[in-house]
Amino acid sequence: MSILEVNHIEKHFGATQVLNDISFSLEKGQALSIIGSSGSGKTTLLRCLNFLEKPNGGTISVNGNVIFDAADPATQNEKEIRKKRLHFGLVFQNFNLFPQYTALQNVTLARELLAKERDSESREAIEAAGRELLAQMGLADRAGHYPHQLSGGQQQRVAIARALALHPDILCFDEPTSALDPELTGEVLRVIRELAEQNTTMIIVTHEMAFARDVADQVIFMDGGVIVEQGDPRDVIDHPREERTRQFLARYSEN
Amino acid sequence: MLLNVTLSLLEGFGTTLKLFFLTLVFSLPLGLLISFGTMSRITPLRGLIKTVVWVVRGSPLLLQILIIFYGPGLLFDLPLLPRFTAALLSFVINYSCYFSEIYRGGIQSVPKGQSEAGEVLGMTKSQIFFKVTLLQVIKRIVPPMGNEFITLVKDTALVRVIAVYEIIWMGESYIKKGMIWPLFYTAVFYLAFNGILTLLFGWLEKKLNYFR
Repeated sequence: MSILEVNHIEKHFGATQVLNDISFSLEKGQALSIIGSSGSGKTTLLRCLNFLEKPNGGTISVNGNVIFDAADPATQNEKEIRKKRLHFGLVFQNFNLFPQYTALQNVTLARELLAKERDSESREAIEAAGRELLAQMGLADRAGHYPHQLSGGQQQRVAIARALALHPDILCFDEPTSALDPELTGEVLRVIRELAEQNTTMIIVTHEMAFARDVADQVIFMDGGVIVEQGDPRDVIDHPREERTRQFLARYSEN
Repeated sequence: MLLNVTLSLLEGFGTTLKLFFLTLVFSLPLGLLISFGTMSRITPLRGLIKTVVWVVRGSPLLLQILIIFYGPGLLFDLPLLPRFTAALLSFVINYSCYFSEIYRGGIQSVPKGQSEAGEVLGMTKSQIFFKVTLLQVIKRIVPPMGNEFITLVKDTALVRVIAVYEIIWMGESYIKKGMIWPLFYTAVFYLAFNGILTLLFGWLEKKLNYFR
């Protein structure tokens, strides 16, 4: 059974159709890369999975349970959505760290709030887990730094640790290196690569073609709100079948 | 003489301070509520609250004090409110409308990504507001709030129009005795108090400088 199944997702903003009949599935432990030009709907798709946008049609299932069905309002209850979105983690293009908290507090805040509700974990346990995550990101010595004291690459790694702290089933990355100086993308990509090697289930929207090919088990090429081509990265990126994919990749290798 | 004047001005300044602090106690939270109203997704509610804010900010505070004090009696034959209460009520209404706009500006200037990050991390709306947004809003509104606090200190002088004996009233009473210096003396009180406020706000701004 697939960990994630997305069926016939539709999304429009007013008259503009942004996502059109998007369907795909993802196996546990696999990494999926979504490529495509700006405005192709990649980011909107991630935002739909994280309930930041509400699809106008289609269903989303995690571990075989339908967690969202556009036709069934019962699946869209605010309180339920809060719980369901914890299946997903999202790393934003602009990090969106909380500026008033240290790196460690950024990582632990949400988990502490959840623990308070459920009375599950102790503060100390959460903090220890947070430190461990930061160490895993190579940031053990930055735990007490505030976001503005960190480089973009370090901020993005804190953001990854923050998302991991809640143990999402599926971790989503929305162009995680697009806001970074070129010399800082490497450290972030390395961390994501390590996560892939540890079989973290991931969806990565990216413009880094070489990275997408290396890391992903599956690639989706989107254009104009539809999935044009999907499959093994060596097929899609090295031997695309569709003309539109070819054009996109050709423009890429020119740059 | 100096002692006598000082004591009587202090008495007036006590009223001034009481009005200042009580106005803040009520209008700071009320302003936040009003700001939520002006950002409400419910169009009629938003329209209504925006209209109220427009009326209150668009008309003189002096006029509002007069209407709140004399209005109930002349229009509806109700008993007059105690003078200080009427003064306080006008100030709370007036200042909460000003504060609401400052809050709104502060809240809307926090990037949307902040609340989205909170949402994605499974926080509730109120957790996002109190744990993520609020401190960032406070940081942004400290400078305009400082302005508003200082204006409030000076605006309290308006309540003399319904014979609430604040400090300038006290100072002015010496004119009849041919003395102008007590009036100048009142300014010392204002300057000293506003000096303290300025320092306090400067300290707060510095305190919040640990993040950006």
